[in-house]
Amino acid sequence: MKKSMAVLLAGLSMAALLAGGCANKEAVKKEEPVVPAASITETDKSVDTAEQARLAEQARLAEQARLAEQARLAEQARLAEQARLAALKPAAAELKFQAVYFDFDKSDLRQDSRDVLSKNAEVILKLAAGTKVQIEGHCDERGSAEYNLALGESRAKSAQKYLTTLGVKADTLSIISYGKEKPAVKGNDEAAWAKNRRAEFVIVK
Amino acid sequence: MKTWLLVLLLVVLPAVISAQSDYIEVNAPGNRQLKLAIEPSFSLDGSPTSDAARQSSEVIAYDMNMSGVVMAESRTLLPHTGNVSLADVNYAPWLSAGYDMLVRSELGLNGNQLAVEFRLFDVTNRKMITAKRYLGTAKDLRRFSHSFADEILRSLTGEKGVFTTRIAYVSTQSRNKEIYVMDWDGNNPLPLTKNGSINLNPDFSPDGREIIFTSYKRRNPDLYRRSLSSTAEIPISNRKGLNITGSWSPDGNKIALALSKDGDSEIYILEKDGSHPTRLTVNPALDLYPAWSPDGKQIAFVSDRLGKPQIFIMKATGGDARRLTTTGSYNVNPRWSPKGDKIAYSRMVNGGFHIFTIAVDGSSDTQLTTDGSNENPAWSADGRFICFSSVRPSGNGIYVMRADGAGQTKVSQAKGAYFQPVWSAH
Repeated sequence: MKKSMAVLLAGLSMAALLAGGCANKEAVKKEEPVVPAASITETDKSVDTAEQARLAEQARLAEQARLAEQARLAEQARLAEQARLAALKPAAAELKFQAVYFDFDKSDLRQDSRDVLSKNAEVILKLAAGTKVQIEGHCDERGSAEYNLALGESRAKSAQKYLTTLGVKADTLSIISYGKEKPAVKGNDEAAWAKNRRAEFVIVK
Repeated sequence: MKTWLLVLLLVVLPAVISAQSDYIEVNAPGNRQLKLAIEPSFSLDGSPTSDAARQSSEVIAYDMNMSGVVMAESRTLLPHTGNVSLADVNYAPWLSAGYDMLVRSELGLNGNQLAVEFRLFDVTNRKMITAKRYLGTAKDLRRFSHSFADEILRSLTGEKGVFTTRIAYVSTQSRNKEIYVMDWDGNNPLPLTKNGSINLNPDFSPDGREIIFTSYKRRNPDLYRRSLSSTAEIPISNRKGLNITGSWSPDGNKIALALSKDGDSEIYILEKDGSHPTRLTVNPALDLYPAWSPDGKQIAFVSDRLGKPQIFIMKATGGDARRLTTTGSYNVNPRWSPKGDKIAYSRMVNGGFHIFTIAVDGSSDTQLTTDGSNENPAWSADGRFICFSSVRPSGNGIYVMRADGAGQTKVSQAKGAYFQPVWSAH
C-alpha cells in the first residue's frame, strides 16, 4: 500500500517534471498552486524504507528542479514583461507629464507653469538615456491661424528654455508648434480657451 | 467702336464709383446700370435649347453680375423657329425690353464634341461688338462660357475678366485640413492633397500651374510644392521649426516665407527650389505672412515687434521696415493688390475678424465686411475681386466680393469649414 503510494507519488512527480519542462510560462503559472510544497514534506514523513526514501528523494529533487524551472520561467516572463513595458514607456511616462498653460497672446511662463515644468523636468530626468521629449506649443482658437503657429512655437520654446535651466539636457528636447490646429477641448468660451493655450510634452523615442 | 466704348465707360464709371459707398445705389436714377441679356444658345439645326444652353447663359449672367459692371440676365424674348442665324438679330424687342446689350450663341454637341460660338451685340447701335468660337468637349462648356464673359468684360472695360481662374483653399471635408481647388465661382471643387495630415496656406505660382503649401505630413510644418496636374508633393523647405506662409514672387523665381530655424519666426526669401535662404528680418519679435508687391520690390508682412500683430512694409531686399496699419490692435493677413495701390488684410474686431483695405501710404483704411468673422483676403488678378473665408449667419465658406466690399457672395458649395483661399492669376 505504502509502496504503491510512493510509486504513485514518484509517477506524479515525473509527470509534473515533464509538464514543468515543456509547458509554456502561462501553463506554469496555472499549475503553481496545485502541488504545494507542504504536502511533499508530509509525504516524506510517512516513508520509512530506504527504497522509499530514495524514491522520495528523487521526487523531492524532481520537484526542486520543477520549482527551479518554474522560477526561471517566471523570471523570464518578468523580464519579458519588463522589456514590453520599457517598449511602451512613452505611453506610460506621458501620463506623468502635465500640460503648461499660458495667458492670451502670451508665451511667458506663469508661476504655476514653472511649478508644473519643474515636475516635468523630474519626469524627464528619470527617463532612460536617449529618450527624447517633444514639446508641442498650442493656442486657443482666437487670433489668426498663421500668427498662432508662431505664437505656439514661442510657447514651446519658453517651456524648453526653462526645462534646460532646470538641468534637462538640450538635446533631449525638441519643439513643434501646432498653432490652433489641435485644440485640447472644444468650446468658444474662456474656460475652453484657457485649456487650449498650452504646451504639451510627448515622448518621441 | 471707339466712340461706343467711350460712351459706355461714361455711363459705367458713375455707376462703379457710386457702388463704392453702397452697391444698391447703382440702380439710382441718373446712374442707370447697363443691362445685358444673355439668350440661351440655340442649336445649329434650330432644335429647342437644351440644359447645356441654359447652363451656359447662366454662367455668363452670373459672371457679369458679379463684376458689377452690368446687370445681366439669362433671357429669351422670341421663340426660335426654323433656321436661325447668329448674325440676324432682331434688335427691336430687346431695345424695347430695356436691354443695352445682348449675347447670342450657337451650340453644337455632336456626341461628346462641342462647338460653341458667342457673339456680343450692342442693341442701341445695332451692331456686333465681339465674337468668339470655341471647340472642345462637352465638359468644357462652363469654361468656354466663363471665357466669353472674360471677353465681354474686356470689351466693356478694356481689361480681361478673371472668370476662368481658380481658387485654392483649405477645407475639412475629409475631417483634417486638406487643400482643394475650385473654379472661381465654386464649381468643380477638387481635392489636391490627400495626406491625412494638417495642410495650410496654399499659394499659386504666377502661372497658376503649381501651388506651395505647408504640411505636417512629416511631423514638422514644412513647405511643399506640387503641380495641379500631378500628385507629387515635393518638400522645398523642411528646415527646423516653422516653414510657413509661403508666398510666390510675382516673377515666379522666388518664394518668401517665415522660417524659425534661427530662433524665432523671421521672413526669408528662397529660390523657388527652396535653396539659398536670404534673411530679411532680424528681430526678436514674430515676423510672418510675407506678401509681395506686384513689382516684386517690396514685401508687406505681419510683425508683433511693437507688442501686437500689425502690418509692416519693407524692401524685398530687407530693411526700411515701416508700420502700415495704425488702427486696430490686431492686424494680419496682408495681400497686396495687383495694381499695387492697396493692401487687403484682416483685423480682429470684437473677437472676430473683418476684411479691410488700406492704401500703401497708410491712408484710406476701409472696412469691407460687417457680417460674422472674415479672414485671409486674396485678390483676383485684375484687382476687381477679393475672396476670403467667412463664418457668418448666412452660411460659412469661401466668399467673393468686389474690391469695394460690394456683392459679397458665397461661392463654395459643400458644407464644412473653409480657410485660407488664394486666387490663381490664370
